[in-house]
Amino acid sequence: MSAGGTTKLANDPDVILSDDELGKLCDFFYRKTGIRMDVGKRYFLDRRIAERIRATESPDFRTYFQILFFETSGRELQELTNLMTVNETYFFRENYQFDCLVNSMLDEVAKRKGRKGDRIKVWSMPCATGEESYTIAIHMLERWAKVDDYEIEIHASDIDSTVLRRAAEGIYDERALEKVPSYMRQRYLTYASEGTWQVRSELRSSIEFSLVNITDPNQMWRFRDFDVIFCRNLLIYFDEVSRRQAAGLLYEALSPGGFICLGHSESMSRISSAFQPRKFPDALVYQKPLNES
Amino acid sequence: MGLVKPDKDVSRAKPAEPVVDVATLLGTLEAEQPKARREAARALAGVPSAVGPLCARLDREEDPRTREVILTSLIRIHLPEVVEGLIGYVRSEDAGLRNDVVEALGEMPDLVEPHIDALLKDADPDVRILTVNILAILRHRKVPHWLAAVAERDAHPNVCAAAIDVLADVGSAEALPVLERVRARFADLPFLVFAVDVAMRRIDGAGKEDS
Repeated sequence: MSAGGTTKLANDPDVILSDDELGKLCDFFYRKTGIRMDVGKRYFLDRRIAERIRATESPDFRTYFQILFFETSGRELQELTNLMTVNETYFFRENYQFDCLVNSMLDEVAKRKGRKGDRIKVWSMPCATGEESYTIAIHMLERWAKVDDYEIEIHASDIDSTVLRRAAEGIYDERALEKVPSYMRQRYLTYASEGTWQVRSELRSSIEFSLVNITDPNQMWRFRDFDVIFCRNLLIYFDEVSRRQAAGLLYEALSPGGFICLGHSESMSRISSAFQPRKFPDALVYQKPLNES
Repeated sequence: MGLVKPDKDVSRAKPAEPVVDVATLLGTLEAEQPKARREAARALAGVPSAVGPLCARLDREEDPRTREVILTSLIRIHLPEVVEGLIGYVRSEDAGLRNDVVEALGEMPDLVEPHIDALLKDADPDVRILTVNILAILRHRKVPHWLAAVAERDAHPNVCAAAIDVLADVGSAEALPVLERVRARFADLPFLVFAVDVAMRRIDGAGKEDS
């Protein structure tokens, strides 16, 4: 493969992009979605993009790129986004962010609170079937030394009432719990039936589940003063304007100095300039400024 | 302490219920606190009569977050008056505001289209370059045509170069003859010849070798 080489035709099952073509697509994709494609997974990228070139019946990469660039509906961009972001949820997924929570973010939040007994609010949004919210709770209980010094509110929200119901029930199979150490499983869950486990009732009842549309100001105004928000792999599915609107509403939902965590390939910088990036040893997160100046 | 269920009465009563009265919201656009201005601008997203005040506020708004919300609301309103109110800002001395407006205009291809020809004929080359910047992000089928027209006829080499850079990404074989003519027209400007060669190579691998 050469840097200036051309794409093979879409009839070829092994359509391969040139480095230039891939670079152009990555730049465009990042500009439009805030997602950085992992060029280290070259084979994965080539296959996925080739799939879309064939699906759109494009004779070559350039034609396909023009579809991506000019299609006013954004449908093909969404198809590519869906293909590039294979999402599944399970306990302790992208665990480095929870490490960052207990190793760095919460200590900074606590320092700002200044007073034991104050309330710390954490939001998992979207929470889907609840794995993330329970993971947050378990990490805090297990690994944050100051967890008993503060009142911790964990909120978990989603636009889908069906998944919220499942989240509140807290029943999971082996696949979802694969990364949970055995002793934690014993401590926080009970065996339910047929290879499923249920989160213990005292943990389930300590999380506030709620239905909310993150792009609707009429719903979001109630969500305020959060110290940490996990909003992972959601904004990528919005169009640009909705993404910007949602980011603005999340900004208002944060306390000054509050943190927001996105999905590992997402970047807030392309969505909104309101947040400041903060690089901690475990993760890059985004922070609402302490003072608006 | 540790995990606690939210105090429903306290946590839900705390934030103030949003104001829906348009006159009050318009007044709040001039509030001292940026947060209040942002909330007002956000609430005006569905109000066509707010276009004028929102556009006017941009000129005075120094808080970048509030500016962002104003532009998002204007995009959401999505009327021709929005583009008419924003177009003038491409001449702003404030580079940040200019760039934000360019991005916002790029989000409204159907409304921006009627203005493109006039912008590309503007006497100010900086305005023409900024218009090319809008085209670079505009989802409109006529973009390659507009870019080719700029490259073909604009007298200013920097404007041509801006158009050629974008054509390199989105141009098709139809642009190649235009690019040949641009190369001939600016044969004495090596940077432009180079830009043309890169664009032609990207479009069709048909460019000449670098000398």
